[in-house]
Amino acid sequence: MIGRKLECIDAGSEYCPCFLAETNECITCSHLQGKEFCDCNWRGVCIYQEYVWSGHKSKGIRKSFPVAVIGTNNLSENTIGFKLGVTKTLARELDNPGAYVFLRDDDKPGFFDVPMSVMAVDTIKGEIQVAVQLRGAKTKALTGLERKITVRGPYWNGILGQRYLKGIKDGNCLVIARGIGQAPAVKVARFLNRGNNRVKIIVDPGKIGVVFINEFIKDLHCEIEELDLNSKQGIKVVKKYLKNVSYDLVFSGGSDKQHLYIIQEIDRLENKPYIVVTNNSEICCGEGICGSCSTRIDSGVRVKACKVQLDVRKAIERRILNNG
Amino acid sequence: MASIVIIGGGWAGCAAAVAASQAGAEVLVLEKTDMLLGLGNVGGIMRNNGRYTAAEEMINLGMGKPFDITDRAARHTMIEFPGHSHASLYDVTKVEPMVRRLLEEMGVKIRLMSRAIDVIKKGNAVKGILMADDTIVEGDVFIETTGSTGPMGNCLKYGNGCAMCILRCPSFGPRTSISQRAGVEDILGQRGDECYGAFSGSCKLNKDSLSQEIRDRLNREGVVVLKVPAEDVKPEKLSVKVCQQYALKEYAENIVLLDTGHAKLMTPFYPLEKLRKICGLENARYEDPYSGGKGNSVRYLSIAPRNNSMKVEGLENLLCGGEKAGLFVGHTEAITTGSLAGHNSVRLALGMPLLELPRNLVTGDIIAYANERIKTKEGLKKRYTFAGAEFFERMKERKMYTIDKQEIERRVSRMDLTDIFNEKLI
Repeated sequence: MIGRKLECIDAGSEYCPCFLAETNECITCSHLQGKEFCDCNWRGVCIYQEYVWSGHKSKGIRKSFPVAVIGTNNLSENTIGFKLGVTKTLARELDNPGAYVFLRDDDKPGFFDVPMSVMAVDTIKGEIQVAVQLRGAKTKALTGLERKITVRGPYWNGILGQRYLKGIKDGNCLVIARGIGQAPAVKVARFLNRGNNRVKIIVDPGKIGVVFINEFIKDLHCEIEELDLNSKQGIKVVKKYLKNVSYDLVFSGGSDKQHLYIIQEIDRLENKPYIVVTNNSEICCGEGICGSCSTRIDSGVRVKACKVQLDVRKAIERRILNNG
Repeated sequence: MASIVIIGGGWAGCAAAVAASQAGAEVLVLEKTDMLLGLGNVGGIMRNNGRYTAAEEMINLGMGKPFDITDRAARHTMIEFPGHSHASLYDVTKVEPMVRRLLEEMGVKIRLMSRAIDVIKKGNAVKGILMADDTIVEGDVFIETTGSTGPMGNCLKYGNGCAMCILRCPSFGPRTSISQRAGVEDILGQRGDECYGAFSGSCKLNKDSLSQEIRDRLNREGVVVLKVPAEDVKPEKLSVKVCQQYALKEYAENIVLLDTGHAKLMTPFYPLEKLRKICGLENARYEDPYSGGKGNSVRYLSIAPRNNSMKVEGLENLLCGGEKAGLFVGHTEAITTGSLAGHNSVRLALGMPLLELPRNLVTGDIIAYANERIKTKEGLKKRYTFAGAEFFERMKERKMYTIDKQEIERRVSRMDLTDIFNEKLI
């Protein structure tokens, strides 16, 4: 094995090849990394062919455009739900687990763009719903926007381990969501349900203080249990489920610390379920350019976590180590 | 029990599977598409010129099974066409299921639509093959017969783009160079202008799209030669093709069609509009590659350095065969190199000395000669086949070319190698 091959979430999409191809930084194609011969991580299309046919240029980029705020909802003291009217095409493109958009006040400069997981999509009406936890300058700048908001998208790398998610059918799955991690868990639970999987959801209000996803999953007939995942009792219950139930897949929506804890518990099991987690990298441009999401993996390679479907264990351990 | 894993189910991989199985190993073939034989599904020319000698040698060495199939599936035998004698043309629509049944009967495990993407190594040994579905296939000895053709990016950079050939990279994903992934640098063939790679040498027309007269002649005689209009004769096109045995003046001035089930057109590609100017081809359409009016697959972009027992240099337990093992052209050459790799894989697993075929057999000579020549600048631009060009000339000079079956039997027996590939080692 010479150099690990990375999996780009955008490969083969209508936004591929992207700017990275123009500078020989493509994540997938060896020709577009400046090499002479094919040695790509095949994603179903030849990116080099697309690049040559489009006149040795990248394809169209995602545009920012103002959309109507159809409604807002104070989900808790520090969390606002937005229902936004977007195009039906964008709604359709966002109808995937891991999909997210950048949001900002149209009056603010581009660097106020903040990534937000898409919680619910109505492809018939062309609507999406997001939940925004007010934490820093960018999120707080969204408060009070009741008529228009600027959206950039679609982006898809909000969840790591998507190939496992998309590969599972008729299985037994556990969805664990805490705090604002509830929002991406909705699309995960719906997706798993559609694949005829049995889904149990453990939800912890966390710092949001409330469980706000019930109305989005009530039609799924999943078993939902509320727990404090930081309490001894909560941890005991999760351990018990992992030990006693043979899960095929476990999703963790929450902090890296939560991911790590769940991974460690899973590693103790004989039959290890697939792990799918929220991508908690600091995503700023979403295009692999700005470098804010850059993560160093064990081979020493720096990867752009906004585009790369990183190996879940490596991504999490690395960030915890770096931060610690 | 030795466990042999073969990556690539073309003619070389299938021959390796037969040889390893005959030697007593447990054999698994990994193939990325839904069919065995790869480019053998659109080839078909056997026993022309020195390939006759080579085929008979292989039969006497104990590798009769593949040749029994190609002989039984022949639509035409002992035919002549420009520069070539006593060719047989197998029916490309019949041969793949026959080979598949043979391997199954021999107990070879076949995994179709299984694409190898990487190598797991331990020291200088291959421990396992990483598959596209994230599983790992382990074995004692591995044989790489992934060929050297494509994929799309290479066909675009060094050719005229993907012409939609039988390898169907867009559907099944690209070939991976296993040896290169294991850290052994590939050797690259060149064409006359020192550009890398070369075009596949023939394309195939749908026979039903040809005139009744041409169809009847093809069915009856196996060959039809048609004049190219003077304004369309392009001798320079001969230099880009793989098959130097067909790079003759006659192939620029004429359209040579062979009946392999399809009408095999002995030129890498030919613009459809020009083709349709030729009498009897007014309604012609391509069968392989689908865009044969525009281009063809580009080959020789991934050759592993190896010794004359087919072991890849620098790796303990990886052998190679077919185009992966040199600038070879043709099924007979693939079967020859694949068979030796298959047989030697079992020897390697058992710690036995590896077999080299002697140079006074044409099969042994081509393996050694191609290996000498690939190390030279000029040699990188040549192709090695029993059927023509440099090596066939050499066969004739060395008085090795014969179609006398008894003489060939005597040569193999004199080396004490009769049926060696049929001996159980385990």
